[in-house]
Amino acid sequence: MWRFLGTRIAMGAFTIWITTILVTLLIHAVPGDPVQIMYAQSQGTTPEQIEEVRRSLGLDRPIPVQYVMYMERLLQGDLGATIRGGQPVLEVILQRLPNTLLLACAAMFIAIVIGVPIGFLAAYREGTLTDIALMIVAIAGISMPHFWLGLMLLFFFALELGWLPVSGNGWLNLILPALTLGLSNAAIFARLTRSSMIDVMSQDYVQTAFAKGLPKALVLRRHVLRAGLLPVVTMMGLQFAFMMGGAIVVENIFSWNGVGRMAVEAIFQRDYPIIQGFILTFSVVVVCVAIAIDALYAVLDPRIRRS
Amino acid sequence: MNALLSVKNLSVSIGDKALVEGISFDLAPGEVLSIVGESGSGKSMTAKALMGLLPPMASATGTAMFDGANLLAPHSKTPRGTGIGLIFQEPMTALTPVLTIGLQLTEALESHGLCSKDEARRRAVDMLDRVGIPDPAARMRQYPHELSGGMRQRVVIAMMMLLGPRVLIADEPTTALDVTVQAQILDLLKEIVRETQIGLILITHDMGVVAEMADHVLVMKAGKAEELGPVRDLFASPAAVYTRDLLEAVPRIDAVSTRSGLDTQTLLSVRNITKTFQTRGALFKSGAAHRALDDVSFEVRRGETLALVGESGSGKTTLGRVIARLTAADAGQVMLEGTDLTGLNGRDLQTRRRAVQMVFQDPYASLDPRQTVGRTIAEPMIIHDTLTKTERTQRVESLLDKVGLSADMAQRYPHEFSGGQRQRIAIARAMAARPTLVIADEPTSALDVSIQARVLDLLEGLKQSEDLTMLFISHDLAVVRQIADRVAVMRNGRILELGPASALFAAPKHPYTRALIDVAPVPDPARKRGKRPVLRGDYPTGPLREADVGHWVAT
Repeated sequence: MWRFLGTRIAMGAFTIWITTILVTLLIHAVPGDPVQIMYAQSQGTTPEQIEEVRRSLGLDRPIPVQYVMYMERLLQGDLGATIRGGQPVLEVILQRLPNTLLLACAAMFIAIVIGVPIGFLAAYREGTLTDIALMIVAIAGISMPHFWLGLMLLFFFALELGWLPVSGNGWLNLILPALTLGLSNAAIFARLTRSSMIDVMSQDYVQTAFAKGLPKALVLRRHVLRAGLLPVVTMMGLQFAFMMGGAIVVENIFSWNGVGRMAVEAIFQRDYPIIQGFILTFSVVVVCVAIAIDALYAVLDPRIRRS
Repeated sequence: MNALLSVKNLSVSIGDKALVEGISFDLAPGEVLSIVGESGSGKSMTAKALMGLLPPMASATGTAMFDGANLLAPHSKTPRGTGIGLIFQEPMTALTPVLTIGLQLTEALESHGLCSKDEARRRAVDMLDRVGIPDPAARMRQYPHELSGGMRQRVVIAMMMLLGPRVLIADEPTTALDVTVQAQILDLLKEIVRETQIGLILITHDMGVVAEMADHVLVMKAGKAEELGPVRDLFASPAAVYTRDLLEAVPRIDAVSTRSGLDTQTLLSVRNITKTFQTRGALFKSGAAHRALDDVSFEVRRGETLALVGESGSGKTTLGRVIARLTAADAGQVMLEGTDLTGLNGRDLQTRRRAVQMVFQDPYASLDPRQTVGRTIAEPMIIHDTLTKTERTQRVESLLDKVGLSADMAQRYPHEFSGGQRQRIAIARAMAARPTLVIADEPTSALDVSIQARVLDLLEGLKQSEDLTMLFISHDLAVVRQIADRVAVMRNGRILELGPASALFAAPKHPYTRALIDVAPVPDPARKRGKRPVLRGDYPTGPLREADVGHWVAT
């Protein structure tokens, strides 16, 4: 198992390294002179000032040299300073990252707590009206865009009923954005759980468990659920990355003070150091989650654990 | 004698479609009843109905009296495990992969409240020991994937026997296993029946297994009982026409071979072929090496059928693939009519390759589901020939006709055909390239026995009419006996014995060949058999020495 995890960690590190290259190239991918664009909106910047910024960002050097410089600073934990305000980028990101992770985790929790039981029930009642009804709801859930669902929830629970605050950063404020992000993912988990459970239930080993005379509840809990949840665990890893992406939209709807909202602001202001830092942080989080999921997978599946 | 289980008029249907109709039989303690039939005959459905494990859409009628209760009555509960146990065909999938062997053995004992946790563990270890599993205490902590197929089937048998059932239903328990392992499992089941006096219902399609195991036989076809009777009567004088056909279709390993080795020129000469597969290691670490073929040499003469026989992992399939250049050998030569195929590339390879065509085991996987049958058969001609479209269509039609299908089937897709028809299509495709050598890799293993007989006849006929040479790869000695002129026995990547079929079957010279022939079930209940030979690991595997004219044995 350690060899398996070692391979995964090495692959994760490789992914992050590729990201650092792309992040350096990013600034040149935008048409036109990046520094000109950055300062296009501000009045009264002199050509000398622009030249100074260009030098401080190292944009006057060849791209490979820029990359080496960027990596040198990165390895010392320096992601540069923001264009507006000159704060260290790392500090700005770390300040807001917990909020985004909290949102994503809460959404994941909602998605699983709602999605897995629904999928299990649908599988158990395969082919009945319950199954069909649940799956229609699930399709609707998947089809609903975040921004629309978010606005509807906001309109209903915050404005009409007045139960929950519209925006802010308290615990109550977490509920609506987490629901927005979690519900559509719950639908995905429901569908996946259903198909996986149906597959497992037709397996010989489940029939064998029944043939031993085990009560249905025990067969489902012990023989079906463990094996049937393996694909769901894989999906969790993939969905977490999507949730981080979804958080960008949802944070803006609910003014939730996370990195997603920060990233959108930075994009509008062409604040390249923040954008670069955001992409890098994002990739590190996704890679870490993927490795954690692989570890969890190994714990659940003896075929990997004991190889 | 009082019957343990008495079934009367058992029927199973889904909606108004009948799957099983009016099956009746009695099962006494210590008796083995075989239910025989081809796929779709309803034999597994009968077992599931008795277990109360029918799919939700299906319903059963009739009576099945067990322990004073009718198992088929509405709302009745079959005493699963404790009354009737069930063993499935595929030991690879019959154990839950994520749970330890120990838990799977003990959980039912605890759940039925038969004994305490510690007692359950002790009984499980004892039972594993009884079914012949070495070091049972250590096995308890292992997971299913860490055991071989034969070991897993023993675990499943132990799991069922632990609960002390009085009837055991075994649904094709040895079909997925190698012939030597099959023999061990059958012996184990026989011993259990003798010692515990349970009733065993053995579902199988293999007449050899029936002859060896059964006291009574129930022959099923299309959901109906064709015949029920004592095994000797049934084999000696089958009453139903279907039973007679079924018995005639079964290839016999003890048949008299009319074939003799042909003495003509060499078509294919395989020299010192070696192939090693590297199992994938982790990053920066190399994996283990598995030697699939180890210095294999033999010759195939023009017009003969040479059979490669061996158990799984013997290297027979790899050897076939190396000859067809689907797998590259590490070392050695494959000389076809004087040209070394292993050295060819690009155009030369493509031209020479048409002479060697393959027919694969699984006709469901070897045909492209999105191409019409006609297009599939025409493809080799498009690659190799310069025919006009009309000429191609004509040739496709004549090929279909040759393999016993009708010309208008060219427009259909593979899913519209049965397994046997698909294998005919696969054969037609191989013939389309006008090969000199056909490599048939277990071409009938996935087919029912009556269909197998017809496909073998077809291959035999084509061999004559099209002047073919055939390399026939199989694990089934009885089929080989029927079709082969010469036989090569393989094990662990080496040829252990090579000789004319008649001599090799009549007087095997290598101990492994003898063991293989001895353990194969023979469809003759009257045949007396001594104790099975114990398979050892240390057979002579050295270079081949000519023991008799054209009969080579490893030393």
